[in-house]
Amino acid sequence: MNRYGPFNWFLLILSSLVLIFLVAPLIGMFMETGASEFFATAKDKEVQSSIWLTVWISFMATFFFAIGAVPFAWLLARRSFPLKSVVQGIIDLPVVLPHTAAGIALLGFISRDGLLGKIAGSVGLNLVNNPAGIALAMAFVSLPFLINSARDGFAAVPERLEKAALNLGAGRSRVFFTISLPLAWRSIITGFVMMFARGMSEFGAVVIIAYHPMIAPVLIYDRFSSFGLSYARPAAVLFIIVALAVFTLLRILSDGRTPAFTKTEDADS
Amino acid sequence: MLILKNISKKLGGFHISDVNLTIPAGTYYVLLGRSGSGKTQLLELIAGLNKPDSGEIWLNGVNITHSRIQQRKIGLVFQDYAIFPNMSVYKNIAYSLTSGRYDKVLVKEQVTRVASELNISHLLDRSTHHLSGGEMQRVALARTLITSPELLLLDEPMASIDASLKDDIKRLLRRLNRQGLTIIHVTHDYREAVSLATRVGVIHSGRIIQEGTPDEVFRQPVNRFVARYAGIRNFFRVIFVNEGGKWKAISHNNLEFRLAGNSYPSEGLLILRSDDITISDDEQVSSSVNTFRGIIKEVLPSEYGIEITIDAGEIFYIDVSADTYKNRKLQELKEVWLSFPPEAGIALQGADR
Repeated sequence: MNRYGPFNWFLLILSSLVLIFLVAPLIGMFMETGASEFFATAKDKEVQSSIWLTVWISFMATFFFAIGAVPFAWLLARRSFPLKSVVQGIIDLPVVLPHTAAGIALLGFISRDGLLGKIAGSVGLNLVNNPAGIALAMAFVSLPFLINSARDGFAAVPERLEKAALNLGAGRSRVFFTISLPLAWRSIITGFVMMFARGMSEFGAVVIIAYHPMIAPVLIYDRFSSFGLSYARPAAVLFIIVALAVFTLLRILSDGRTPAFTKTEDADS
Repeated sequence: MLILKNISKKLGGFHISDVNLTIPAGTYYVLLGRSGSGKTQLLELIAGLNKPDSGEIWLNGVNITHSRIQQRKIGLVFQDYAIFPNMSVYKNIAYSLTSGRYDKVLVKEQVTRVASELNISHLLDRSTHHLSGGEMQRVALARTLITSPELLLLDEPMASIDASLKDDIKRLLRRLNRQGLTIIHVTHDYREAVSLATRVGVIHSGRIIQEGTPDEVFRQPVNRFVARYAGIRNFFRVIFVNEGGKWKAISHNNLEFRLAGNSYPSEGLLILRSDDITISDDEQVSSSVNTFRGIIKEVLPSEYGIEITIDAGEIFYIDVSADTYKNRKLQELKEVWLSFPPEAGIALQGADR
């Protein structure tokens, strides 16, 4: 007798189709890339430095912006203030903007005539076509992932734990660093990895800010537009492998140091 | 001594309204209230986790209304204890002493002392994840007591522990109170007030509606709500009649109750405590007691014995011990006689109060 009803079969088929759609292009790309092409590309100094640059800039952008974004996420989770929903909308804006449009907007801000560009220029730094500019472009489009995940993590920490710590004589900053941050750590790391991943894969905004130095997505596009699919494919495969390895490593590291924490509801009385 | 003067606070759609309380040092004060009555919010105002919109809070002669939470010397134990899950039991208890200002040896000494007082020395190295309700309760108390508070606030301390552990916790709380610690304990269970309180307050919709010794509150409740909180379930809508200088109350089902007092309103509620009602197999013929014949309609086990529901023209609820129930063979449909003295009737003015 069939254990599954028709609806379950229907769900299974639809789910399989979606999954195939997601996996098939990647598998196809891997299968169509010959070993000799792949290893030749892996030894290519230009490709190596491009991937390294991408990973490094995205990590640094995520790290430095996290210093401001994580406390900001706590503020969003815990405090009410005027126009909070507008602020939340602004945070989500980069997700819905076309990324080339985001790049154009950011270019106006960091070019020599822009506000940040002028400040950077005053210390002799030109942000356009510079790793710092690339970092800003990556952060601009990927910050919502970190802020939203960290905010959800802080919101899931029962507020009474923070209140208990205050009642035990701790100052606000001690409560943040000893209670809120450790208990929201898993969500913060998830957001960190998501922002890092999104930053690494960014093309549209970065290509407006800096074609050179060439990050991996720009390099892949450059090879594709200049030499065609077969020349771009091995670089894409290599980049995907490196990205997956980095994410896996970060996940393992974060799982190893995060305390298990289960949300419980605040007492209502 | 804790003094609350005209404390008001708006919290969303809920108001704490004009709360006035004086709690002398050394008092065990039980604040009774339903879920949503504002009792936890009042504790948080006293602790300083929220600031009142108006009014003043004085502790031992100092106006602490606008003092920082950390400077109030008020310990608060939350309903589900708020044990920090990312720290061991030791670190939880030592939390208030580990900000860098204290010597490590001194911290260890203090933690060991308070853990020993609360019989949790064996838990110090444990993670908090597998503690029982009673153990968590003790860890939370230890963590608060190590700060040497002048006032201890307990939010529903018995709500999350097994019935078998409640007596242990009660003994512990009594001992702390006897040592001079002023305690405010909020609960929805009047039995905790009966067994622990030296004073009782009843809070409803953000207002303290009655306050006094347990005897005053439970023997003379000011309204039906408080009476319910005192565990009273026998309420009868009556008219009060004076016949030849003697008062009686007549219920809507024409049951007549002889009363002992000298003055009654024209109508209202007559309430009877279960403890004042005697069940017998025979009629007690006496002019000094009210006696009614009734039929046992329902027998239900309750937390402290058996609840007997008797239809005697009106429905009476009477708690008896399991032994009484067994010895007297109080099974359903049995005919019994109820009796209670005239002075047992408590009158509340106004039928809907």
